[in-house]
Amino acid sequence: MQNMILYLAQNSQEGRVFGLDQQTLISMLIQLLNGVILAVALGFILYKPLKEFMQKRTDRIQGKIDNAEATMAKAKELIAEYNEKLSQIDITSQEVIEEARLKAADESRVIIETAKQEAQEIRARTLESIEDDKRRLKEEARLYIIELAFLIAQKYVAQSIDDETQERLFEEALSELEEAQWQN
Amino acid sequence: MPLNVDNIWILDIFGIEVWITETIVNSWIIMAILIALAIFIRIKMRKFKEIPTGFQNLVEAGVEMFHNFAQNTLGEKLLYISPWFFSIFVFIFSSSLFSIFGLRAPTADFATTGAFALATFILMIVLGTRHKKGEYIKSYFEPHFIFFPLNLIGELAKPVSLSFRLFGNMLSGTIILTLYYSLTPIFVQIGIPAFFHAFFDVFFGAIQTYIFVIISQMYVKTAAD
Repeated sequence: MQNMILYLAQNSQEGRVFGLDQQTLISMLIQLLNGVILAVALGFILYKPLKEFMQKRTDRIQGKIDNAEATMAKAKELIAEYNEKLSQIDITSQEVIEEARLKAADESRVIIETAKQEAQEIRARTLESIEDDKRRLKEEARLYIIELAFLIAQKYVAQSIDDETQERLFEEALSELEEAQWQN
Repeated sequence: MPLNVDNIWILDIFGIEVWITETIVNSWIIMAILIALAIFIRIKMRKFKEIPTGFQNLVEAGVEMFHNFAQNTLGEKLLYISPWFFSIFVFIFSSSLFSIFGLRAPTADFATTGAFALATFILMIVLGTRHKKGEYIKSYFEPHFIFFPLNLIGELAKPVSLSFRLFGNMLSGTIILTLYYSLTPIFVQIGIPAFFHAFFDVFFGAIQTYIFVIISQMYVKTAAD
């Protein structure tokens, strides 16, 4: 305790305004130490944490601005991309319509050609059928005429020849007729 | 208001007499108030918002203003010592402000200004050697080694002028106010001294604080750059 407080204020030496001695040097060192303590305290308690807080906020805001700018740039890219796609779609749709029109024209031409062909075939078949009918009718008419002529001849001959002669003549006429048909 | 710096206690530490002066005690009082204020702000900081308002605005503006000031003077390279200058700035200005309330300004004592100037001198040597390596030591011997004494005196003059400038200015305000209080009748000691205090303690104090800190920063920057 001997090295502790020696006197109180009433025993202290009279003060002074200025002096350059050992006490001034000691006071300077104490004040320097006080300054260091204050700097460390204020630095750690206030200055650095507050600066960090403000820096973090600045970084956060800067990050948000950067993010917004990046999003904006991306949005612009997307708009450009979609515009490109839309113009591409317009071109494609026009191409599709043109292609469909050409295809439709081709198909209509094919259908018309097929229809014409079928009509011609039907016409040809019809003409052929008519020719067949004509031939068939001619044949039937010929046979009918033959039969009729035969009947007329029979009636005529019946009045002048007997049944035996008539039979012979018929056979001869028939054989001639068959021979003629075979030759045809 | 007495002109003398009174001795509050006299200690005997290892046979060396140590005066605990009014300046030192007042410094402790100011330090305690500043540290308490810093702790209060630190506690308040937990509720600080993204968009500052009111008190937060005031605190942030103060720190931001000092940071920009230090950044412009010291540059990015030496910005890491800005907390030291921040403390010195706050302490010197607070010393002036507290003298309004009758507390003798610690800066009106050479022990305080000498200590801060000594700190600037130490920073000049340490940072000069750290950033410029041998170039700093070499600068004492330029343009020729015979100029070393002149260069040394030139460098030593810096902290001396720095400390005496602040000491003289702050003491002058104290002397003028002491004379005013001593020589004038009591009826003019109410109201009128407020203008003197506003001028010598607030206005003069702010200017001297700014000058001391900016010159200290310039000396350190010149030594380290």
